[in-house]
Amino acid sequence: MDVTRFVDDRPEDGVFRVNRAIFTDQEIFEREIEQIFEGGWVFLGIESQAANPHDFFTTTIGRVPVMVQRDGEGTLRGFVNSCPHKGARLAQTRAGNARLHVCPYHSWSFDSAGRSKAVKSLRAGCYSAAFEQTDHGLAALPRFESYRGFLFGSLAADVPPLADYLGEAAKLLDLVADQSEEGLELVPGQVTFTYEANWKLQLENCSDAYHFTSAHPSYIRVLERRQQEMSADVVASVWENSDYWKEEAQGVAGGSYSFANGHVLNWGIFGITPAIPLYEKAGVLAERHGEGKRDWMFNMRNLTIFPNLQVAENASSQLRVIRPIAPGLTEMRTWCIAPKGESDAARRQRIRQYEDFFNPTGMATPDDTVSYENCQIGYAGTVEPWLQGYARGMTATVDGGNRFSELLGMSPERSVLADAQLCDETLFHSYYRAWAKRMAGGSEA
Amino acid sequence: MSAPLTRTEAEDLLYREALLIDTQRFAEWLELFTPDVEFWMPAWRDECTTTENPDRELSLIYYKGRRNLEDRVMRLTSGLSTASSPLPRVVHQVTNVLVVEADAAAATVSAAFTCHRFDVRMDRTDCFFGRYDYHLVRQSGAWLIARKKITLLNDTIPTVVDINAI
Repeated sequence: MDVTRFVDDRPEDGVFRVNRAIFTDQEIFEREIEQIFEGGWVFLGIESQAANPHDFFTTTIGRVPVMVQRDGEGTLRGFVNSCPHKGARLAQTRAGNARLHVCPYHSWSFDSAGRSKAVKSLRAGCYSAAFEQTDHGLAALPRFESYRGFLFGSLAADVPPLADYLGEAAKLLDLVADQSEEGLELVPGQVTFTYEANWKLQLENCSDAYHFTSAHPSYIRVLERRQQEMSADVVASVWENSDYWKEEAQGVAGGSYSFANGHVLNWGIFGITPAIPLYEKAGVLAERHGEGKRDWMFNMRNLTIFPNLQVAENASSQLRVIRPIAPGLTEMRTWCIAPKGESDAARRQRIRQYEDFFNPTGMATPDDTVSYENCQIGYAGTVEPWLQGYARGMTATVDGGNRFSELLGMSPERSVLADAQLCDETLFHSYYRAWAKRMAGGSEA
Repeated sequence: MSAPLTRTEAEDLLYREALLIDTQRFAEWLELFTPDVEFWMPAWRDECTTTENPDRELSLIYYKGRRNLEDRVMRLTSGLSTASSPLPRVVHQVTNVLVVEADAAAATVSAAFTCHRFDVRMDRTDCFFGRYDYHLVRQSGAWLIARKKITLLNDTIPTVVDINAI
């Protein structure tokens, strides 16, 4: 595929443009599924979703139903969630515990290591010798690896090790994983929503500081009302204690980092404030990890691990899994991710902040997703196919990191240091450079 | 001496609440709640059970205090929320109203609901359905909502569900 028709990447001319067609075209979508989602590493879930022996959870890689299962010895594996007999979906629920999976269609059964336990009426089946020599176990994912409890799988075998794929961006997953010595968990209660627009709009929005004051004035108005009243009844918010969203704020407010393979971070300084549920651990975390890394844990951080994982730590802490269904339809599976062992008060604060900001029944996310749908409608306008939303920060982006990434010993490919008004868009370039490489047929890393 | 809440009185309150939302009379709708109302729509823990402890588990919506509902109404009607402009057209159908427990001062009421929503922005029709569990209290002669629990049964949310569609 000639990707230059869709991504016009000419840094020497100060040009980076994306063609609207990549959000709407059916053939491009199908190639994305093959090359990006079914052709490389994608995020599956976190280990605590299958914490105990024989626990499992289900998800998808592209179009493929997937089951992640822990066996009796504690080993986690990834399988295609499909019976080898007739192909029926085997595990029917999002999560559960099963020593044995019995296919509801013809009762073929499998243990929690994916091995065939029984083919019903095998002896009476008059099978050929060739059939009897065939493995009737579940098809294992060609690649399956964990990084600090974050589980990834690949339907393609010829991908680099996960650590190479994550590269320096892994240090940002460390910031999530290291918030508690006990590890991470998902707060019970999964929220799933769909929107009628392309999956890449979610990729971009997470990294888009420019939209905040435009798309969320009603939420900002609520924050202002709460700030004035300081009533004990209202839901406390970290934004109330931050100048991040105030357009008149001065000085370095944050910035962006771009990594190989399409991973990006958009970040901002919140400070060590009691509005952040982690505040009770501020001292402990500084002792354990040093002040520099501790301060990073308190920064606003929107991380994308390309192509389908986002960890947003801003108003609260959200784990998002992006699932493209059609060029104009995306499903989002979302959870509140939290360090294990935090106090009841901190957990309650985290949950309340989460619901207000992140839920599709809350006060911020709907104004994003509705904007995605407005984009999807507008993309039909191909009189001028090239979009202009990738140009902010072009003269601010530099090779390598800066004094903030040095605090983590982290070496991004590019970085931008920004005040509250810059709102870098060059971090999107990392998405589309990875996209173009994969769509052109190249592998990652 | 006041009599316990009757089913007719319960129906009257629930139907009136539905009408006030459907006709966007949000100020009057807010007056139906006590200042310390608990307004709760749990999330689903798995296929069969909703979350039960709002302090340790996620809800779709959880507020303690009418003050927070006032914020939601402000946002919804502010003209500053793309998702709420223009407001979708909704009609709530509240059925199966049962007075579970009642005395002169308080009552527990359950009901089923269906809310049809036409999103004029996207020319899209959705339907949300589930159950209501109310705790009502009599204050100054009027029955007010001290607790409303909304169990949304179809919880894969099509883009947005706000307080006017549940």
